[in-house]
Amino acid sequence: MDETLLEKKAVRNAKKGIKQRMNWSVIKGQKQLIFMSVPLMLYIILFSYVPIWGWTMAFQDYKPARDFSQQKWVGFKHFEFLFNDDRFWRVLRNTLGMSLINLVLGFATAIILALLLNEIKKVLWKRMVQTISYLPHFLSWVIVTGIVATSLASDGIINDVLMRLHLINEPILWLSKGEYFWGVVGASHIWKEVGWSTIIYLAALASIDPALYEAAEIDGANRYRKMLNVTLPGMKSTIVILLIMSIGHIMDAGFEVQYLLGNGLVVDWSETIDIFVLKYGIAQGNYSLATAGGIFKTVVSITMLLLANWTAKRLGEERLL
Amino acid sequence: MGGKSKSLFRLSMIMLLSLSVVLSGCSGNNSGANTGKGNNSGAAAAGGDGTAKVEPFEISFYIGEAGQQPTPDNKVYKKIKDELGATLNFEFLAGDSEQKLGVMIAGSDFPDVMTSNTKLVTAGALIPLEDLIEEHAPNLKAHYADFWNMMKDPTDGHIYTLPNYGVFNGKVNSTWYSGPAFWIQKEVLKEFNYPKVKTLDEYFDLIAKYKEKYPTIDGSPTIGFEILNSDWRNWGLFNAPQHLIGHPNDGGVVVKDGVAEIFSNKDYAKRYYQKLNEINSLGLLDKETFTQNYDQYMAKLSSGTVLGMFDQHWNFQAAEDSLTTQKKENRTYVGLPLVYDTSIKDYYRDLGALNLNNGFGITVNAKDPVKIIKFMDALMTEEWQKTFSWGFVNEDYIVNENGRFMKTQEQRDNFSDATWKLANKADTLFKFLPKTEGSFSDGNSTDGAAQPEEYQAGLKDFDKEVLAAYGFNSYVDFFSEPPANPIYYPAWSIDLVDGSDAKIANTKLNELSSKFLPKAILAKPADFEQVWNEYTAEIGKTNVKAYEDRINTIIQQRIKDWSK
Repeated sequence: MDETLLEKKAVRNAKKGIKQRMNWSVIKGQKQLIFMSVPLMLYIILFSYVPIWGWTMAFQDYKPARDFSQQKWVGFKHFEFLFNDDRFWRVLRNTLGMSLINLVLGFATAIILALLLNEIKKVLWKRMVQTISYLPHFLSWVIVTGIVATSLASDGIINDVLMRLHLINEPILWLSKGEYFWGVVGASHIWKEVGWSTIIYLAALASIDPALYEAAEIDGANRYRKMLNVTLPGMKSTIVILLIMSIGHIMDAGFEVQYLLGNGLVVDWSETIDIFVLKYGIAQGNYSLATAGGIFKTVVSITMLLLANWTAKRLGEERLL
Repeated sequence: MGGKSKSLFRLSMIMLLSLSVVLSGCSGNNSGANTGKGNNSGAAAAGGDGTAKVEPFEISFYIGEAGQQPTPDNKVYKKIKDELGATLNFEFLAGDSEQKLGVMIAGSDFPDVMTSNTKLVTAGALIPLEDLIEEHAPNLKAHYADFWNMMKDPTDGHIYTLPNYGVFNGKVNSTWYSGPAFWIQKEVLKEFNYPKVKTLDEYFDLIAKYKEKYPTIDGSPTIGFEILNSDWRNWGLFNAPQHLIGHPNDGGVVVKDGVAEIFSNKDYAKRYYQKLNEINSLGLLDKETFTQNYDQYMAKLSSGTVLGMFDQHWNFQAAEDSLTTQKKENRTYVGLPLVYDTSIKDYYRDLGALNLNNGFGITVNAKDPVKIIKFMDALMTEEWQKTFSWGFVNEDYIVNENGRFMKTQEQRDNFSDATWKLANKADTLFKFLPKTEGSFSDGNSTDGAAQPEEYQAGLKDFDKEVLAAYGFNSYVDFFSEPPANPIYYPAWSIDLVDGSDAKIANTKLNELSSKFLPKAILAKPADFEQVWNEYTAEIGKTNVKAYEDRINTIIQQRIKDWSK
């Protein structure tokens, strides 16, 4: 066996970190894999690269139902409109702010919930908690914001509970203060998504070798020690990869929540780039501006992604690219 | 991203298709002519000659608002299919309208017929209709005869939309006021022995007195006054000042002697918002009024605890229906045409102007526009119009010995039953179709609810009492008779043109108002002045001139083109 394996040097002997040379024998040896990846490649090219052609719209005064050759080119006009508008910077701040809150809170709560669930030994109980926590994921934001708005109303459940606990004397109008808005959005996000994001961590936990726990137990580690020294390191690579991927989405604070929960009183804190683009781009028939906003988001996202990846590499962690 | 590549895919499909059309050459022309002939016989059948065979065809519709599909065995649509051969497929809006239209336009993905929108016209999605109507649609031509010039698009002179409301015929009966007003619970009027309320101050005094006397209604705290300002339903906050000075609804501007100017920063607007500020400090204004969404607002109205609000009737009609179902007729509302002081004549009720932004348009994707326009023309006949508004004779209404249309109580109940309507009425289609308003040639009202004797017979006892106390026939009589419309009226139907400075300015003005007005109203009375100044200063920074100029240009153009 060993000998036959050694014969296929290029395929089997590749060590981590050493660049494997691409040549025909490698391709031949992996032709099934390559064959399988063709539909995927086509999908990505068709849906992720071909549309980049549409970016040309950002440099035109794009009018629908007109040929490409009939469009008027205007250079960076739409980008200038974006960057010269005071509101754009406020909107950018809101996007980054809410996104960061979602990112940090989302990670912390998902990891904590995964760790806690991992400690539950009663399978039925564990399943129940898990099911209840991930069900909201399947609700659309329209419904979720409806629930949130109702719970936060002056006679809603949140105020009711706080009043009965004598923490407050009169109902707080949660949606009338800009300062509360980010928190409300963050909390809604967690309620909706925490169970769902936990699933991947639970999968990572399932792959940890039980022998490690046994060894730790023999060494006298208690429950918390095991969590700290076995479980968490076991999840680390998953966490880092997910973190890098999430950082790529840092400009997507969302649009539905803010659009549906926002109102005149909190507009300074609630508007995100997507809403701004909807209002001044799509709603005005100004698709060029919408595209310019999209390009800006993409460029920032890619930069952040590469930066995060580079940092992870520097720290000697798992990485995406 | 998916949308764009989809459009590319579609684009290539269209290119392929157009190539094939070019290749098929003159044979394509021939087949087109043939279908044209086939149509003539279809239209003849619609005219009453039932013997001719109707060729079945399908028309796809996009309805720009949320709605429900009619049941598959709906009797009106069945009649349409049997007699005119048309099967109708409806697609309703789900989600945000602007976004949906944007996606449709970007992908050139249109059904045959769409509820019209200026955005569609700008994008070149609709086909000009004037020649089609002249050639193929005598009924429509006669229907719109007086409005022909008005319907033309100011930029290129083509007609793109068949307006659905605003063309009147014969005597116009009106028993239901659908427009804006200060609404007050009937119970409040009854409590104080039906006073005549004319001014804003009297109105709020009445509410204050009632709230003091009854701090709770059915166990829930009484809410004095509501203002809805949520998403596109923002008129509750914006529009009141123009009415208080005796001006009709012109949208964001007040037009005097043919000159429009915005009113949001004027002193008479300030007077209203200062009053609201005062109301708020007295605890009469609902604390949540600016944070609630439409559903929450409707829930409050439906509970019967809200004493008054400024709104348009159609916007909260569902809440009134719910109150009626709960047998709380005394908690439904009367619209009051309030003004600042009695020297001002109220001008809330107006004569319905031709609604240019509403109705159906035929899209560039429609394969056979001639067939569609003939179909619409056939529906314009009186027989079809009666079917749409009254239903089927002896099934949905009866004709009494004087030839007047009436309903039995059961039929009346059916007409307010949403489930029954899905199976027996074609409301979705009829709402956006061109229609006869006023009276039919036999003198019956085109709208069942507006038939005077029918309205009286359907009144609840409580309403009879209220109306008797004021000596009115219907609630519309609370309002002054509307004068003839100025030629340009209404200014709110002026298209600001997507992406223009005027439209951007309008968006910014709306944004400022929904941000600063709540702030000003909820501020401590001492701080009101300061917030107001901040607000007007911000308005000063926007390009108000572009907005006003656009409206004034079109007003002048309308005065010139529409005058007979």
